[in-house]
Amino acid sequence: MKTPTNPSSIKTRFAIKFLQAMKKLNKKRSSSPSMADKQRRCRLIRAAACASMASAVGTRRAWSRAVLRKTVNNHQYHSVINNRRRITRRKRVVMMRRGNPREGHSGNLGEEDDILRGLVPGGEGMDFCRLLSETAHYVKCLRAQIQVMTNILDHYST
Amino acid sequence: MDPPLVNEASFTAAANPSSYSLAGLLSFPTSGGSGGGGDLGLRMGSLGLAGGDDLEESTVTEQSRSRYENGGGKRKRVAGNCFIDGSSKLASSSSADQDLNKSNIKRAKPSGSVHESGGSRTEAEANSGTNIKPVEEKSKPEPPKDYIHVRARRGQATDSHSLAERARREKISERMKILQDLVPGCNKVIGKALVLDEIINYVQSLQHQVEFLSMKLEAVNSRVTPAIEGFPSKDLTPATFDANGMVYGSQTPREYARGLQTEWLHMQIGSGFERGT
Repeated sequence: MKTPTNPSSIKTRFAIKFLQAMKKLNKKRSSSPSMADKQRRCRLIRAAACASMASAVGTRRAWSRAVLRKTVNNHQYHSVINNRRRITRRKRVVMMRRGNPREGHSGNLGEEDDILRGLVPGGEGMDFCRLLSETAHYVKCLRAQIQVMTNILDHYST
Repeated sequence: MDPPLVNEASFTAAANPSSYSLAGLLSFPTSGGSGGGGDLGLRMGSLGLAGGDDLEESTVTEQSRSRYENGGGKRKRVAGNCFIDGSSKLASSSSADQDLNKSNIKRAKPSGSVHESGGSRTEAEANSGTNIKPVEEKSKPEPPKDYIHVRARRGQATDSHSLAERARREKISERMKILQDLVPGCNKVIGKALVLDEIINYVQSLQHQVEFLSMKLEAVNSRVTPAIEGFPSKDLTPATFDANGMVYGSQTPREYARGLQTEWLHMQIGSGFERGT
C-alpha cells in the first residue's frame, strides 16, 4: 500500500481502525484453531470491517449510525435479555414499516424496495428518497472498504 | 408629531410630482398653497428640518401598513380562490361567470391595497380631493411585485400535494441517476425496477466480496501478526495522524470486538436454548 495523500480520507481512517481491530482480534487468538473457531473469527473480522467503516464515516449517515448502534447494543445487552430485546425490536420495525404511509407511493417497486431496505443497514423505516441516497453512500463506502481490504491482503500475502 | 398630520402634509406636497423627497418637502411651503393644506404646510415649515425625519418615518410606517394590508389582500385572495374552486364544482355556475369572477379578483388584487387603504382614509379624502394621488403613486411600485408573488404562489396553493409529489419524484429520479452512475453497467438498463435490481445485485456482490475478503484475511492474519503490529506507524500514516487515529480508534474497535464476542456467545446460548426447548 502506498502512503495515502489525504490522511483524513475515509479510506485511511478505515484502514487504521480495521488494522487495530485485527490486532486486537489476533491477541485473543487461540493456539489451536478449529473449524468453528475459524468461522467465528471470520465473522468477527467481517463485523470488525463493517464497524470500522461505520466509525470511519462517523454519525453523519443513517447507515453508519445504524451499524454503530448495533455494535453498541451488542456490547451493552448480552445474554438472554438481549435476545428478548432483539425480538421486540424486530417486531417494532415491522410494525413501523407496515404503518409507513410512503409504502403505497412506490407502487410495484415494493419487493425491490424491501430487499434494498434489508441490504442497507438501518434501511427499515426510511422513506424511499432517503434510502436511495443512503444506498449511494453505502455503495461508495463498500467499494472503499473492499479496496483497502484487498490492499491489506496483498500486502500481507506477498 | 403624529402620522395623520404628516399624511396631510404629504398630500399637499403631492401637488409636486416628486412627492416624498426631502427636497419636495422643503419646497412645499412655497408651492403648496391649496386649500386647508397650506395651513398644515406652514406648520410643517415652521417645524423645519426636524420634520423631514418625521416624514420619512411616517412613510416607513405607512409602507409597513400598506404591506400589512397587502397581506390581508392575499389572504382574501386565497379565500377567493377557494370560492372559485367551489363554484367550479357547482354545475350551475357558467364558465363565463367564473372568468368574470377570476378576472375581477385578478384585477382587484393589485389594487387591493389601494382599495383598503382608501377605505381607511375616507376622512382624509373628505378633507382634500388630491388625496388619492400620493397613495396611488406610492402603492404603484408594490402591486406588480405583489401580483407576481401571489401568482407564483397560486399553483402551490391550489395543488400542494401534486407539487410535493412532483418534487419527491424529481428527487428520487435524481438519486437514481447518481446510483446508476455508481453501479457499473447500470446506465444501459432502462426501467426503475430493473435499475433497482441491478443496484441490489451490486450491493449484495459487494457485501459478499467483503465477506470473502474477511475470510482471506482471517487465513492470512495468523501469519502476519508482527507485520500488523508495525503497520500503521510504518506504512500508512505520518506519526501525528497515527496518534490521532489511536485516540479515535481505541474506543470503538475494542468495544465492538467485545460486543461481537458477546454476540457470538449469545448466539451460542440462544441456539442452545432453542435446542433445549
